[in-house]
Amino acid sequence: MNFEILEHPADIGFRARGATVPELFANCAHALVSIILDCRDVRPTERFGVCADGSDYESLLVNFLNEVLYFVDGRRIALGRFDIGRLDENGIECVAWGEPRNLERHPPKLVVKAVTYHQLSVRRDDQGWVADVYVDI
Amino acid sequence: MTAIEPIRIDRWRWRIPRDESARMRTDVVVYASTELMEQIRKDQSLVQAVNVATLPGIVGPSLAMPDIHQGYGFPIGGVAATDVEYGVVSPGGVGFDINCGVRLVRTALTEAEVRPRLNDLVQQIFRDVPCGTGGEGRVRLAKGDLDHVLREGARWMVNNGYGHQRDAEFAEAGGALPALPDKVSQRAKDRGASQLGTLGSGNHFLEVQYVEQLHDAEAAAAMQLEAGQVVVLIHSGSRGLGHQVCTDYVALMNKVMGKYDISLPDRQLACAPARSPEGQDYLGAMAAGANFAWANRQGVMHFLRGAFQRVFGRDGRLQLIYDVCHNIAKRESYEVEGVKRDVLVHRKGATRAFPPGHREIPADYAEIGQPVFIPGSMGTASWVLVGRQKAMQETFGSVCHGAGRLLSRSAVRKGRDARVEQKKFEDRGILVRSETRDGILEELPEAYKDVDEVIEVVHNAGLAAKVARLRPMGVIKG
Repeated sequence: MNFEILEHPADIGFRARGATVPELFANCAHALVSIILDCRDVRPTERFGVCADGSDYESLLVNFLNEVLYFVDGRRIALGRFDIGRLDENGIECVAWGEPRNLERHPPKLVVKAVTYHQLSVRRDDQGWVADVYVDI
Repeated sequence: MTAIEPIRIDRWRWRIPRDESARMRTDVVVYASTELMEQIRKDQSLVQAVNVATLPGIVGPSLAMPDIHQGYGFPIGGVAATDVEYGVVSPGGVGFDINCGVRLVRTALTEAEVRPRLNDLVQQIFRDVPCGTGGEGRVRLAKGDLDHVLREGARWMVNNGYGHQRDAEFAEAGGALPALPDKVSQRAKDRGASQLGTLGSGNHFLEVQYVEQLHDAEAAAAMQLEAGQVVVLIHSGSRGLGHQVCTDYVALMNKVMGKYDISLPDRQLACAPARSPEGQDYLGAMAAGANFAWANRQGVMHFLRGAFQRVFGRDGRLQLIYDVCHNIAKRESYEVEGVKRDVLVHRKGATRAFPPGHREIPADYAEIGQPVFIPGSMGTASWVLVGRQKAMQETFGSVCHGAGRLLSRSAVRKGRDARVEQKKFEDRGILVRSETRDGILEELPEAYKDVDEVIEVVHNAGLAAKVARLRPMGVIKG
């Protein structure tokens, strides 16, 4: 998957890439889930609507990832696939696929409290779209 | 603003003067020794303390404790008071883990009595107190119960079989603040309901410790602490419920800041006027989150009692010494420049430290001051302190909350093996059980500042006084 882990004195972050904005958002969602649990063996047996709004790509990304976090931490769902539908700076509609979390097949790694605005950045470079995101653990 | 250059006030205090070009409304005051200041300057925490100084309605300086380190928006180890009438409330100034805090429990056992059965005890606690990283807690709530927990906090747990009446009386605020559970989203309730009575992960832990050294015999006697006595320190918070409350209100306040003509250097500082509907809703929801945290620590203590009973055939007469929170916003009154002011004290990684005679401390501690517990890094040492009058004059009744982080998680993991580190602890007489292997590595003492040095600063600055130093014997973490 297209992301790398970033350093923070107390917590953890990631840098994700995508050729397009929807691909970037999907890769960010994958990065977040992979910080929380081992997601190499997630079966896409159930679908969930994950929607969020925002006022720009940054706030949209934070709100979207916090919604993903709600499903993984609150509803105890391991999510493994993100099909992004409509996406503009004000809103995102996504169908996420996964299954109930299973301690054996999805060993937990870290409990993420929240996705933050700390040093958040969504930008375009010569290879496509890049996002830096830090989460509180 | 150019590079931040703190100016020394005295041996323990530094000032960053107000700079209008950085939109600061007040100074920053940092409590630190020369050595700690060198470490503090290595991350972004001073920039964050400067950003806090831009909050509308801030009263007195933006304060930084000696354990300050980089957080999100606010630095961790920061204190900011805002005027209740014309100031703001900032969910980021409380943090995602609303009412993360520490409770210290005394036992009737000595180190010599516990040491031979330490392995059994640590294993039993690990079985009985859920960490909750992978699953659910053991407190089952019927429909409608959660709202009662959010309103009644520790008292609900006590009234429903999870503790003794005395437990709730010995928590800050009696273990419950006036709350508005209907201002907590269903999403937050979903995240929290199954996690009640769980320790959590990250830097949360439970430690079996013994009193190594007494520094104040009178205060120790009031807390019924003796040298060699075994105590248990519980460090946990409001779990997913509190995290979601903060997330919800940071999002809401980012939306409404424009309406109130507020613009800030960091979106994570998102805030609204304390008197606005959004501010009031947040304070009601935050209080509900805080109550959930008190109930949570009460649940953990209840399961701990069971573990002691199973191992020692009696419950070791576990009694709560006190329970303090270090992530909260509280309405309190202070004299500022000769005028009485009602303020909202945001304590983000800072502990309340009220002096002797304050009406909000239990009668048992009226003459010694409020007990303050400062957990060190895993497996080093923790401290018991009592609040002092100077904290009321200088820091809105606040002191530090821990050792303060120094290294990132990956930096401390690099080149280290969990089994080797576990063995090193064992060689020092400390048993460590962690739900995840990374949990041990990421919280190694090397990742933190020296807690004794942090305590030296607050003690010598007169904010709190040393009572006892505690040494760990067994560590349970997520």
